[in-house]
Amino acid sequence: MSDTIEVDGKQLAVDEEGYLADLNDWVPAVADVMAKQDNLELTEEHWDIINFLREYYEEYQIAPAVRVLTKAVGKKLGKEKGNSKYLYSLFPYGPAKQACRFAGLPKPTGCV
Amino acid sequence: MSELSLERGLAALRAEIDAPVAAFFSSCVRCGLCAQSCPFYLETGDPRYTPILKLEPLRRVWEAEFTLWGRIKRWLGLGQEVSDAMLAEWEPLVYDSCSLCGRCSMVCPVGNDLVYMIRKTREGMVQSGHAPEGLVAASVRAIRTGSPMGLQWKTLAVQIQHVERSTGLTVPVDRAGAEYLVMLSSMEIINFPEYLEAITRIFDHAGVRWTLSTQCFEATNAGIQIGSKDIAAELVERVVVAASALGVSRVISPECGHAFTAIRWEGPNLIGRPYPFRVFHIIEVLDELRRDGRLHTEGKEADRLSMHDPCNLARKSGVIGEQRALMDLVAEHFVDLDEHGRFQWCCGAGGGVSSNERAEPLKLAAFKRKKAQIEAVEPERMVTMCATCRTQLEEGLEEFNMDIPVVGLTEMIAEHLVERPAAEPEPGTESGQPA
Repeated sequence: MSDTIEVDGKQLAVDEEGYLADLNDWVPAVADVMAKQDNLELTEEHWDIINFLREYYEEYQIAPAVRVLTKAVGKKLGKEKGNSKYLYSLFPYGPAKQACRFAGLPKPTGCV
Repeated sequence: MSELSLERGLAALRAEIDAPVAAFFSSCVRCGLCAQSCPFYLETGDPRYTPILKLEPLRRVWEAEFTLWGRIKRWLGLGQEVSDAMLAEWEPLVYDSCSLCGRCSMVCPVGNDLVYMIRKTREGMVQSGHAPEGLVAASVRAIRTGSPMGLQWKTLAVQIQHVERSTGLTVPVDRAGAEYLVMLSSMEIINFPEYLEAITRIFDHAGVRWTLSTQCFEATNAGIQIGSKDIAAELVERVVVAASALGVSRVISPECGHAFTAIRWEGPNLIGRPYPFRVFHIIEVLDELRRDGRLHTEGKEADRLSMHDPCNLARKSGVIGEQRALMDLVAEHFVDLDEHGRFQWCCGAGGGVSSNERAEPLKLAAFKRKKAQIEAVEPERMVTMCATCRTQLEEGLEEFNMDIPVVGLTEMIAEHLVERPAAEPEPGTESGQPA
């Protein structure tokens, strides 16, 4: 993966795993560009999760690991969305990692 | 941790060999009972996951350097060397397939403490550069930020606000002279904030003087998981400094099982001096409050409940009766899993397994033992008291399409507290169904 991605004609820095280097660089088109790299077409359902993550990070200042995301989505958007099968169907590379990347968040981390 | 190498790894293994280790290796009768106690072996049938085999690097160093036969073999050129390739091959055995659950240590007929030796082997793995990436990253974050997740006080502050809003109570912070300092795990803060809410309610109810510390709020110990005494000692030291600054006489460990082992049992030896305070698990504290008549509950859960004992709490620390006495307070229909208490089976996620992505399939395989236990009892809900166990139970049950919610015992107690200030009890609150 290159160290920058081109979004709306601008070069944005990303880390070696493709996460945005600067959160403040994020615009919705970032998600579209990253999704295209992953051969994914973003639907409204994807955007529900991406937007949810943006709000989540705004409040808690941490990128949620997969179980945390699953639970938090369940609380906010209902049980039929708050389960890993649904989330994996949207984000096949891992709902927390891939969706956080699309949302411009840092890579989520787990506990020990 | 600069310049990790085979030489450093071997030196660490050598340094870890003490009298118990030497006695254990020379006592092993190769009976294989340890395999029969290991969920990773039993659920995969892979003989590489036999606990004593996971210790082969340590055993080879012991044989070559501490036994006459080993020296002779070496002299004859027949010694089995521990190479870098061997350690690389053993890394998944020592980490991915061991949750440090200690069941093998319990069943060994000659009394070999295998989990003690796994813990020691990991010291050598770290020094030779053969620790899993996820655990290395968590350890680095723990040292740099105080949390293996990189979670900061600002996140805890948000949760404190939520708790204060929903309870109308104040969460005490940095209150010098409190009796208890409450430590948390990042997982409890971010995924189970109901725990903080529950203790806030319970301690208000029972009149317990407690506090959180902004200086140190996290007591999980990545150093214990990965096998690094230096990291482990540093993380314990931070808790001691924070507790001393506030002058508390008691520290409550996070619910998290291994955190309890770290701070309760390993801590003083790691830092090389006794604590100026005593350490308890929340379950011990709650049961003491119960015995002292300071917990007034009303109503009971009516559904069929069973319980998962965290290994670190039950098998390693002997906390077994306490959670059952507490269950009895609030549950009408409690049924134990067949093997429980000291003999319980691990959820499969502890000991650093859950922070090691490579171990995911094994973690799920090991869970099948728990799953079978749960299926035999058919509870409507499971109750536990460790954030890692709870996360694993939730994940595993979901994976196998078992619709069994998992709840924390502390939260369940909090839901049944008699409202304190109002003298008149509310009528008709018999069976407090959880929200």
